[in-house]
Amino acid sequence: MLLPRSDSIHPNFNQDLQRFLFGREYQIDELPFPEDMIRQHVRKGLIALRRGVEAVDDGLFSLLLGSRRWVCRRCGNSDPGLFGSCACGRCRKSCVYCRRCLNMGVVRSCTELATWVGPEPVRQPVTPGGNGGLCEWTGTLSGEQAAAAAELVRCLNEGHSFLIWAVTGSGKTELMFPAIEYALLRGERVVLTTPRTDVVRELFPRMKASFPSVPVSALYAGSEDRIPDAPLVISTTHQLIRFHRCFDRVFIDEVDAFPFHFDPMLEYAVQKAAKEGAPFAYLSATPPPRLKNAYLRGDLKGTKIARRFHGHPLPVPLFCWAGNWKKSVAQGFLPPAMLKWIKGKMEAGIQIFLFVPSVSLLRELTELLQREALDHVAGVHAEDPDRHVKVTLFREGRIRILVTTTILERGVTVPAVEAAVFGADDPVFDERALVQIAGRVGRSPEYPAGDVVFFHNGRTLEMVRARRHIEQMNEEGGF
Amino acid sequence: MNGTHCLICGGIRQDPLTVRTLLLAGTDPGFCKNCRRKLAPIDLDDCCASCGRDLRLIDKSFVSGSVCSDCRNWAKSGRNGLFGRNRSLFTYNEWMKEIITMFKFRGDALLAEGFRTEFRSVYRKLKGSGWENLRDWLKTGERRAAGVKYIIVPIPLSKERLQERGFNQAVLLAELLGEPLTHALVRPGSERKQSKKNRRERLMIRKNPFLFNEEAAGSISGHKVLLIDDIYTTGATLRFAAGALEAAGPQRIDSLTLAHG
Ligand SMILES: [Zn+2]
Ligand SMILES: [Zn+2]
Ligand SMILES: [Zn+2]
Ligand SMILES: [Zn+2]
Repeated sequence: MLLPRSDSIHPNFNQDLQRFLFGREYQIDELPFPEDMIRQHVRKGLIALRRGVEAVDDGLFSLLLGSRRWVCRRCGNSDPGLFGSCACGRCRKSCVYCRRCLNMGVVRSCTELATWVGPEPVRQPVTPGGNGGLCEWTGTLSGEQAAAAAELVRCLNEGHSFLIWAVTGSGKTELMFPAIEYALLRGERVVLTTPRTDVVRELFPRMKASFPSVPVSALYAGSEDRIPDAPLVISTTHQLIRFHRCFDRVFIDEVDAFPFHFDPMLEYAVQKAAKEGAPFAYLSATPPPRLKNAYLRGDLKGTKIARRFHGHPLPVPLFCWAGNWKKSVAQGFLPPAMLKWIKGKMEAGIQIFLFVPSVSLLRELTELLQREALDHVAGVHAEDPDRHVKVTLFREGRIRILVTTTILERGVTVPAVEAAVFGADDPVFDERALVQIAGRVGRSPEYPAGDVVFFHNGRTLEMVRARRHIEQMNEEGGF
Repeated sequence: MNGTHCLICGGIRQDPLTVRTLLLAGTDPGFCKNCRRKLAPIDLDDCCASCGRDLRLIDKSFVSGSVCSDCRNWAKSGRNGLFGRNRSLFTYNEWMKEIITMFKFRGDALLAEGFRTEFRSVYRKLKGSGWENLRDWLKTGERRAAGVKYIIVPIPLSKERLQERGFNQAVLLAELLGEPLTHALVRPGSERKQSKKNRRERLMIRKNPFLFNEEAAGSISGHKVLLIDDIYTTGATLRFAAGALEAAGPQRIDSLTLAHG
C-alpha cells in the first residue's frame, strides 16, 4: 500500500517522498525510497526525471568536429576537459561522467536525476510574536538604511531583483531583516547564501537570535545545524547544489567574494536552487562588474549606501613607495618606510592587519618581523590549520600583528585595527580586494578612523581605482 | 580529452616540451610532476621474483634468493598451482591509496589513463625480450609457448558490485594494454567487501569465489595467461583466480597489478 496516511487529503502520493524531494534533485538510487515507488510517482507526473549528463546540441559545430559536447545537469559543467568516459557496468555502453562534481557521487549519462514536480508541500505557518512580526532584533536602522530596506521589500514583492551596494561597515545584514520577515510571514522559503563558510558561521547565530520563532538551518561542510524543510536557510553557495527550484527568495551576501565570481558551478547552483522567476537580492561593498553595470544602466534595481552605520567616512588609503619589496625580502630586510610605520603603530599600541600577496611571502615576512624583535607576530593563510585560533587571539589582542593573505579581506572585524598592504602593486590585489582591505579599518563607533597604507613599488591602476572608489563613496556619503 | 591539466589535482602539467608534445594537438591525459613524485614506483630489477614487492622496503632477513618470506610460505602451502609471478607498478603507499579511492570508489575512471605508459612498459618486460624467449626455447624446445603472447584476463567483479560501482577497475586497467581481453572468469554471488576483511580473514577463506567461463576454454588452453587487478594484497585473490583457470589447461599464469601492498 502506497499511502499510509492522510489518504483523504492527498489520495495520490506519498507525503514523505514529497517532503524529501520537493525543491531538491537526487539520483534515484540516492533516495531512501524503493525504486518502484519512485517509478509510480513518475508515471503519475509527480516526479520528473532527467539524465545526469546530456549531450548539448550545438548543431553544425559538433557535426564538424565529430565529437559531442556534454553538460552535467547537477553542477552545470560543460568543460570538455572535465568529463571522462568508461565502459559502464550499468548501461553496458560507453558512458560519460562528470569529473567536476565527483565528490558528491558520480553522475553519468545513464544516471537519472529525480525531482518533485507535484504539489508543493504545505508547511506549518510560522507564528508571529507579540508584535505581529517575526524579527526580534532590537537595534534600529538609520534613516538611510530604513529607506533602503523598504525599497528592497517593495522590489522583491514586485518580483524584481535588487542590488544593495553598501560600503563596508554599513550594517547591510540588518537591512535584509524586513524583507526576510515579510517573505517568511507569507509562508515563503528563503535562502541567505554566501560563498564563504566563515560568513555562514558568523551569520547563523545572528539570524537565529533575530528570528527566534523561525526554524533556521545552517548548511556548510560539517554543519550540525541542519533542519529539514526549514523556511529560512543560511547556506554556503556550494551546499545549494542539491537544491532544485526550492526558494521563493534568494539573498546573496558578499556576492563578489572568492570563489563565487570565478566559479560558474556556484552560480549554476544558486540559479538552480531558486524557483523560476524568484527575485534575488545581491549584497556587496564591491559588486562584480556584471551587476554593477546592470545597476548603472538601470537594468537592475538597487540602492547605494555610502555611509557607514556610525556616520563616519571610510578611511582613504595612503600610497607609500617601498622600493623593490620582493628583492628586499629575498635579501632579508624590511623596506625602511614600512618598518618605521609598523614600529610607530606598535609604540602607539595599535594592532595591525598586514596583507601580503602570497603564502611564501607570508612566511618570509612573518619571520622577518619576528626577527625585528616585534612581539606577537603571526601569519595566517587559507590552509592554516590554526587559522581560527590565530584569528581569535588577534581579536583578543594577544596577537598584535597578523600577517595574512587576501583570505581575511572580509568577514573578520576587530575594533581598533589598522591595515597595510605589503606589495600592493602585485596583481592579486585588484580594486575589489583593496577596497575590502581598507574596509577592515575604522568599523566601530569608538574608533571610526585609522591608517590604511598601500606599500608598493610603483602604483597600479587597481590601486588608483580603489582609492577613487573610496573617495567617491565618501563624497556620495556627504563628506 | 585534453592532457594539459593533471588528472588528479587539475594543475598545469608542465611536461617537458618535446617535438612530439608540440606537434600533437592534444597530449595524452596524465598527472603533474608533483602528483607523480608522491608515487612509489617499484624497480623491476629489485623486486621479489615471485610477488613483485619492492625488496628495498623490507628487512633483508625476510628475503632469500630474491624471494620474500610471504612467497616462500605460499610455495610451502602448495597452493601456487600454475601461478607463476606477479608484477606491480607501485607500492601501495598513502598516496596510492588516495588515488585508488578516487579511481575505484569515487568513480573517476579516467585516472587509469595516467598509468598507461607504465602499464604498457611493465607488460612488455613481462612478455620478455627476444633473448629471454630464445633462451626459454633452447631450454624447453617449446617455441610456440614461450613469451609469444599473453591471454589477458581481468579479475571480474560480482554483478552486484559492478552495478554498485558502475565499472570494473580491473577491466579499465587491462584496457590500457591495448590488446584484446578475454573474460575467462566469472564471480557469482555477493562477496563481502574485500577491504573490510582483515588479513587473517582474507587468508582463511577456503572457497574459491571465481568460476571458469566455459566459453573461453579454447582461448586459454596451452597459452600463457596474464591476470590483471588493481592491488596485490595477500596474493590470495589472484591464486584463486589462477586456480579457477587451471582446468582449462593454460601453460602458466602470471599477474600484473597497479599496486602492491
Ligand atoms: Zn557535474
Ligand atoms: Zn552508464
Ligand atoms: Zn597533479
Ligand atoms: Zn614475494
